[in-house]
Order: sequence, then C-alpha cells, then structure tokens
Amino acid sequence: MKTVINEQNRRNFASQVESMLHDKLSKCYQCGKCSAGCPVNFEMDYTPNQIIKMTELGMEDKVLHSKTIWLCVSCNTCSTRCPKGFEVTGIMDVLREIAEKKGITSKVEKEVQMFHEVFLDNVKSNGRIFELELVGKYKLKTRHLFRDMFLAPKMLEKGKLKMHGEKIANLNQIAKIFKDFE
Amino acid sequence: MKVSEKLHEAKSGDNSENLSAAGKLAYYPGCSLKGTSFEYEVSLLRILEALNIEVKEIPDWNCCGASAAHSINHNLAVALPARNLAIAENGGYESVLAPCAACSNRLKSADYELKTDEILKKKITDSIEMPYNSEMSINNMLEFLIGVVGKDKIKTLVKKPLSGLKVASYYGCLLVRPPKIMQFDDPENPVTMDELVAITGAEPVDYSFKTECCGAINSLSKPDVVMALTGNVLYDIKKHGADLVVVACPLCHSNLDVRQREIERKYDEKLGLPVLFITELLGLSFGIDPKDLAIDGHMVAADRVLKKIEELSK
Repeated sequence: MKTVINEQNRRNFASQVESMLHDKLSKCYQCGKCSAGCPVNFEMDYTPNQIIKMTELGMEDKVLHSKTIWLCVSCNTCSTRCPKGFEVTGIMDVLREIAEKKGITSKVEKEVQMFHEVFLDNVKSNGRIFELELVGKYKLKTRHLFRDMFLAPKMLEKGKLKMHGEKIANLNQIAKIFKDFE
Repeated sequence: MKVSEKLHEAKSGDNSENLSAAGKLAYYPGCSLKGTSFEYEVSLLRILEALNIEVKEIPDWNCCGASAAHSINHNLAVALPARNLAIAENGGYESVLAPCAACSNRLKSADYELKTDEILKKKITDSIEMPYNSEMSINNMLEFLIGVVGKDKIKTLVKKPLSGLKVASYYGCLLVRPPKIMQFDDPENPVTMDELVAITGAEPVDYSFKTECCGAINSLSKPDVVMALTGNVLYDIKKHGADLVVVACPLCHSNLDVRQREIERKYDEKLGLPVLFITELLGLSFGIDPKDLAIDGHMVAADRVLKKIEELSK
C-alpha cells in the first residue's frame, strides 16, 4: 500500500490538522481505546486510531474520502476515555471541515454530509430550525422521498410536526455571521 | 472524589428563588422544544410554575447550530451559540437554562472556547457585534434542577409518590461528555437523574447502557445504525425490568420514542417502553394532570404506566 507520497505534503496536511485541532497527533500511541468504545465502529472503514495515524502519515486522500469521518456521531466516548487526552472527537470535526471546504463528498456516506448542509441552510434562512422544511429539503436532496414517511401521520396527530416555522426578528445578524464564516 | 460528589458539594444550595425573583434566570428553549419535543417545554414550564420559579426566554434567540455546525464549520459552531449567550449576558442574566442536552452542550462548548482562546473570542465578538465575558453559569436540565433549584425544594412538592414504579434514567452522550467542558456528573456512571427519580418515590433501575449513544443526529441520514444503537439501549432497559425510561434530551427522546415501533419490528421483539422527559415524571409526582404535562404527545402511549401509577397510589 502506498502511504507517504511526499514528505512536504505529509507535513503540510498534518500541521494543518494540528493547528485547527489545537492538539498534537504524536500524542496518540495507538492503544486503540477510542476504537474499542466507539458505538459506530462496526460501520467504519477505518477505526478512529487508524484515522489518527493516517493523518499523521499524510494520507490525506484516504482520510478525507473515508466513511469514518461522516459516520462519527460526536458522542465523545473516545475523547473521554483517551489515556493521553487526545481530541479524538475533535479530529473528526477538523477532517470533515477540511473535506467540506475542499468540496470532497463521501461517495458512500454523502447523506450525512447533505443533512449537515441542509440543516445549516435552514438556520441561515430562518435563524431557527423549521423541522418540516428541513426534512422536506433533505428528502428532495437525497431523493429518499418515502423513507420514514410512515411516521408522519402519527407525528402530525400527536402535534409533533408544526406546519409553520419561526423566523427570528434580527435575521440580518445571522446573515452577517454566515457571511463572516461560510 | 467522584465528579458527582464534587457537583453536589459545590452546588447544593437553593439559589433559585433569589435568582428568579431578581429576573436573572434566562431560558434558552432551542428549536426542538418548539417542535417535535414540545412535550419537554410544556412539562418544564408547568413544573417551574409549581416550583414558583420564573425563567425568561432569551429575546430573539437563534439555533445553536447543533451537530451540523461543529461537524463542518467550527467558527459557526461558536458564533451561533455566542450570539445567544451575549444577548443573555448583556441583558443582565446570571444563569442560563438550556433543557435540550445538545443546546446546553453547544452553549457550554462555545463558552469554554471563548474563555480559553483570545484570538477566537476577538473574531467571534467582532462578528456578532456584541461583547461577551463568559460570566454566566450555563445549566442543562439536571444541573438546573439539582444545582439551582435544589433537591430539598423539589422534595417538598412531591404530593403523589410514584412508589412501585421502576424507572430507567437514560443520559446519552451530551449531558456528560466531554467531561472537561461539561463539568457535570460522572461521565461513565452518572447518577443525578437517578437521584431525581428517587425523589419522585419511584425506584431507579440500574442497567448498562446509561451513557451509550443513541445515534443522535444521524437519525434521518443513517436510520439503520440509529436503530441498532437505540435498540441496544432499549432492550437492555427492558431486560432490567423498567416500566419506563426518562430522558433529558429531545434527540434521545426522538430516537427512543419515535423509532421504537420500527425497532420492535426490525428485531421482532416487543418493547412497549414509554419514554418520558424527567420533567414529566417530576410533574406526575407533584400530582399534576398528565394532560397538562403533554404526556399524550408521545408516540409510545404511556397509558399503561399512568394506570399503574393510579393503582399504586390507591
């Protein structure tokens, strides 16, 4: 397996991740505690400790295209148990953000990424989440129009689905935050 | 010393009436409490009324960005909560109640980062165009009930003890992790919700999956994974003989309640476990009518449990 492509590229990628993470990749001594306790490890292509090592080795392409970074649910079990206090959950956020900025979409797990994008769009346009609109737009984007639809009638009956969303008054402040950071 | 013991030592006083009377208690409902988890807000406001505590909604609050923001845009994940915190702090509030576990987690995380990273703080306060000095205490639901309201005060309101009822407390992830930032209870074996259950007179049920993740935000994007994780939690609770589950998180509630029928079908084993918010259980022990607590708003009907409570109280 080809691992290190170019020493300079390796350093660039590893230091970009470290500076966004405010933590050192070399802290990790590969004990595997993070992966052992990860609730979604059974679906991942690389375990969390492998992702850390691969990042250190500069395997940018593999890491940013992995299923793992999108399957991570940020439950923080890994960081809580890490004997070295390494930001394991944090590195997943950093790698997702780099992938997102580079326009990399995971082939297999693109729906998770789409959900995050649709969610933030909803915040941007309303200031708050309007659940019905969020779910509708997500369904259109993923074309899973009928998945989970069987839940809708009872949720409506129970009053769980509101037909109207709330918009905040100072939406211009939200627009500014998005303009500054998007 | 265990984290939970530290918490009790530090925050055992009843300070709620002073803060409430002075109008210093801010309330950040978050989006779920205005939508799919409206039962949480209804029951929360009802029990606060019974406790004679007044909270004020943060004016013009916005979504905290939840998991989506921190997953793909770190600056947004700090700026969105920061706007709410700054509005509250500049409005003179001393304490914020965020009943949603995800909201309280995001508010506390943003507060922590703004406290510890001067460069980030400058960038964020410039964007929201408000100063912020991290001077408020931010509380999740359990922290508020135990730390701000106080167990003694809650005890005085229990008119209808729920003795004989077996209740499993499910904490999930965001109330306790990461411990460095949450500074609340024990991250592996939390007990605060069990203590509240014990105050209602019900019997807290011990089980293994108290802090295992339910699958959280991936409910819509990875339903099979979420059903596997939530199924583990629910079947373990069932195995330990609980009559019902209590939670303090809208997302946990959605996965455990809304997806329960589907989980039963998928794993071909009946669960029939009503999932209540901790505020609803407290309300029942205060003798409040279940309808006023919106208990009929759940997908898994709680009728059998309510009947059992009636029978037990006879």
